[in-house]
Amino acid sequence: MDWRAETQALREQALPEIATDDHLLALDERRVRWLGRNGLITKLLRSIVSAPDAERREFGAAANALKAEVEAALEHQIAKVKAAAPDSRLTEQDDLTLPGRPVRLGRMHPISRTIREISRIFLSMGFEAVEGPEIEWDYYNFEALNIPKGHPARDKFNTLWASNPLGDDPSRPMLFRTHTSPMQIRIMEQRKPPIRVIVPGRCYRFEATDATHESVFFQYEGLAIDEKLSMADLKGVLYSFARQLFGGERKVRFRPDYFPFTEPSAEIAFDCFVCDGSGQKDGGRCPTCWGSGWIEAAGCGMVHPDALRRVGYDPDKYQGFAFGGGVDRLAGLLTGTPDIRLFHQNDLRYLESV
Amino acid sequence: MPTIRVPLSWLREYVEAHGSAEEIGRGLHMSGTEVDRIERPGGGWDHVWVGRIAALEKHPNADKLQLVTVEYGEGRTKTVVTGAPNIRAGDVVPYAEVGARLRDAGTGAPGREAHGDGWLTLEPKKVRGIMSEGMVCSERELGLGDDHDGILILDQGLAVGQPLADALGDPVLVLELQPNRPDCMGVVGVAREVAAVQRVALREPKVAKLRYQLDRALLDVRIEDPEACPRFGAAYLENVTIGPSPKWMQQRLTAAGMRPIHNAVDITNYVMLELGQPLHAYDADRLRGHALVARRARSGESLRTLDGVERILSPDLLVIADDERSLGIAGILGGQDSEIRPTTTKIALECASFEPRGIDRTAAKLGLSQQSAASARFRLALSPELVPLAVARAAQLLVEHADARIVGAVDVYPSPRPRPNVRLRFSDILRVLGVEIPREESLDALSRLGFQYAESGDTLVVTPPAIRTDIGIAEDIVEEVARIVGYDRIPVLIPDGQLPLQERHPLEALREQVRDHLVGFGLQETVSYSLIDPAWLGRLSADGSPIAPAPIRVQNPTSISQSVARPTLRASLLDTAARNLRHRDGVAIFEISPVYLPRAGDLPEERWTIAVLVAGRAKEQTWLTQPRDWDRWDVKGLLAAMARSINAGTFSGPSGPAAGMHPGSSSTRLHDGRPALMIGQLDPRVAARWGVPTETFIGEVDLASLLAVVQPHVAKLPPKYPAALREVAFVVDEAVTYGAVRDDVTGAAKDLLESLTLLDVYRGPQVGVGKKSFALRLVLRSRTGTLTDADVEKVVSRIEGRVLHKLGGTIRG
Repeated sequence: MDWRAETQALREQALPEIATDDHLLALDERRVRWLGRNGLITKLLRSIVSAPDAERREFGAAANALKAEVEAALEHQIAKVKAAAPDSRLTEQDDLTLPGRPVRLGRMHPISRTIREISRIFLSMGFEAVEGPEIEWDYYNFEALNIPKGHPARDKFNTLWASNPLGDDPSRPMLFRTHTSPMQIRIMEQRKPPIRVIVPGRCYRFEATDATHESVFFQYEGLAIDEKLSMADLKGVLYSFARQLFGGERKVRFRPDYFPFTEPSAEIAFDCFVCDGSGQKDGGRCPTCWGSGWIEAAGCGMVHPDALRRVGYDPDKYQGFAFGGGVDRLAGLLTGTPDIRLFHQNDLRYLESV
Repeated sequence: MPTIRVPLSWLREYVEAHGSAEEIGRGLHMSGTEVDRIERPGGGWDHVWVGRIAALEKHPNADKLQLVTVEYGEGRTKTVVTGAPNIRAGDVVPYAEVGARLRDAGTGAPGREAHGDGWLTLEPKKVRGIMSEGMVCSERELGLGDDHDGILILDQGLAVGQPLADALGDPVLVLELQPNRPDCMGVVGVAREVAAVQRVALREPKVAKLRYQLDRALLDVRIEDPEACPRFGAAYLENVTIGPSPKWMQQRLTAAGMRPIHNAVDITNYVMLELGQPLHAYDADRLRGHALVARRARSGESLRTLDGVERILSPDLLVIADDERSLGIAGILGGQDSEIRPTTTKIALECASFEPRGIDRTAAKLGLSQQSAASARFRLALSPELVPLAVARAAQLLVEHADARIVGAVDVYPSPRPRPNVRLRFSDILRVLGVEIPREESLDALSRLGFQYAESGDTLVVTPPAIRTDIGIAEDIVEEVARIVGYDRIPVLIPDGQLPLQERHPLEALREQVRDHLVGFGLQETVSYSLIDPAWLGRLSADGSPIAPAPIRVQNPTSISQSVARPTLRASLLDTAARNLRHRDGVAIFEISPVYLPRAGDLPEERWTIAVLVAGRAKEQTWLTQPRDWDRWDVKGLLAAMARSINAGTFSGPSGPAAGMHPGSSSTRLHDGRPALMIGQLDPRVAARWGVPTETFIGEVDLASLLAVVQPHVAKLPPKYPAALREVAFVVDEAVTYGAVRDDVTGAAKDLLESLTLLDVYRGPQVGVGKKSFALRLVLRSRTGTLTDADVEKVVSRIEGRVLHKLGGTIRG
């Protein structure tokens, strides 16, 4: 047979054969049959040497082209078969609606979380978190804060008095601190201006408890002393605090208030983050601010010159501000807890929900 | 805080205030006078109308009752049953329909706050067989006055069918005053604030000055203790007729929360409510020696006070006396003997200024926690300047409403108090507030409050009005300016200037890390009361002996359940566990809090403690997991993981038994002589007392000790050489602890031991009675080269040798 006809015949036989194979093993056999050591195309290539000189070049080119064509066809078919075959690694079908393996979830108490958040915000404004004793001398809780014995402002602080089993000194009464403000004095005694501290901690009052009052509760106290701090700076710090805590464009409202250890004094309120200060929610009175549009958050003011003098600061040189507010109230607002007594009841059904 | 009630109509007598009660209230509130609420008489008088009696007939089944048909507009009529005798057809009366809330005339104290009790809500009710729908009301039922003898007959001119509140309602501002503002304890003082805030005129009551001349034979006024009583004013009046005070005065007193008595007492109360200064009227004929003396009580002197109590007095109490006996305890409580009677014709008006601390001390000594209207004022720093004013005002009202004739007056004021002058610079306002308030505006605010001033350049010298006793320093003046121009004027600035260097508080930082890790381990944090029931402490051990030092006590606890400062967290955790285990099968909780440990002569140590409790079901059954309960190895594992998470080393001190815990399954460990760690199973007898499972496991760690063993982190580079793995098993006597084996293994392996895992503890026939076997996996690795088989064999045989030699163990093949 003419090599031309032979080449063409092989092509016409090989390519359709390969194209019909649908199994990798079959294709392996096919490769042996055509391209193997004794394969039909291999034999054809071997016969090139015996071709006439004049045609040898042309024959060689045609035979090699056929070999390439068949190889390509094999590769193509292998790929095709592989693509069509199911991969055993992918055959499994899970019921993904089945529940996963349970993971035990722990939670921080809302009070701890709120204290941490308060500290974090003030830390970002250069305030350092410090702590102080819960059981305190009368001096720090009252005397040093311009509330001597018999001062009518003591009425605001229904005090729980402490008694030491190892003996009491009547000249030095000990009490459960009624606010975190004694730390103002302790900090100023220990440090020199500039001062910026935030003091979270537990406080105590002789108080009948209800949804918004506790005999054991938490406060945060802020103190900043420098040469030029004014009430405008106080407003700025608390404004920033409110926005970071409650988000949005929170406003801060100041109204005059009275504390013996600050002058001037103010009460801070944030506009209500639930009703945006409107006092209205869902066609009724906003339950968070009781319709006032404001959430009273803390007392504050400029540190009284007497307090500065008492710790040896020169009030003509240094001035600053202090503020103090309730952690429980903020924690209640942040977690949607309507009754602050829940914080101390430790009902896990409640704690796991907040 | 002192509370006062200011009826709006009374306030308007002294100030041309514009706006509603709410608007006036807002102005007061935002300038520092806290408005607690605005009350309408009778709590708002919802469902109470102006009605007319259309018909009146006798009750068919009761002689003393009448059936009243009331019309109240828009054709509405209702029938009610009443026993009141004073009504006729055609009368205009208050009609309360079903649903109205009224004072309970039986118990209600008119004009006072009586939440809950003292109120009733009307319901339809059958009276002797006839349905009565609502009520026609008396003064007392409406909270307008004390009269309950009959129905309140209204003015015929009132439009029938309008809400009663529109016809009669006079809102009452209920103010919570600050203790530094006694000047606002009277309506005039509040009016002064309104006038300043609203920029309107103040009309103080016109009071004619008294002639300070009085025959000592009629009334001899003396101060024996001028420190306790700096000023003592009095007036003598005769020709007095005692009788009811005018209706308008009674209504004002009632609205302000006081009960009308008769004209003399009502007038002294009225002046107190008006000016803030209490005074007292005596029957002058009953003053022995015609004297009024402010003096110390004599030792053993007794006095029957107005509350009916016979009190033995002592010299530390100030009394008002005549020449022979005490008449009353100064500023606190009057006596019965000198009371005005219906027959009184001569009155000695007494008005004094007392040292406020003395008032408090006296009240405390007498055990009078309830303040009277007078003592609530006297305990604040009332201005002595109010004394002559109040005497003159009361005398004038006695002339007008008790036919009295003023004979004369005295004013004993041995050392008049100078009025303070406060010096400041205008720049102080900017310095304190952070905003410039124009000079004219600042001065205007001050003068509207009644301050006088003199300017000289930047300097300002201010004299507060005589009634203001709270002003002493420049900052006080700045606050006055600020609250009148409005705190809204203060801008919002972010502070600049130098920031202080921050310190890091290692204990607090560690505490927060521990908190995070324990939460991460799946424990729920709790926060419980730091004040606990002392009985709890006795329940922490089987025999009731204390496991912690005697606690700090609360001298005046709110209840026994919160009467000591906890010296341990254990009781709180047990209480929390027990309460929760009533509605769940398992708890895994922790608390981080100080415990309070008394120190002699000092504040207690507040020792931060971590406490963990697990009990009951640890894992519920699911399709993937088997149920299991918490056990001792959980709590040990949790604390070990916590220690590892903060890179804590081990406590150095000896270990010993733990009080209140299972003697065979607990231990404590000291570090530097103080208890650092307690871990184990609760004593089952204690568990039973608390109602927690027998298998309850607790861990307690002293945070400061933990901090002491925290190691700095040292980075460990990935190893270069391969590890060799060997498993060995030692059989030892039952008495030999795992710890002993572990220590020998690690000691013998030197630094080639990378890790040691206890694979199994076996007891049984294969090792014999009284023996146990520990199966261990050792990972051995050298930092300097690959361990050959020979190297490994050498180490393993050294380990085996050590255990065999020291602990008498055998190797299990």
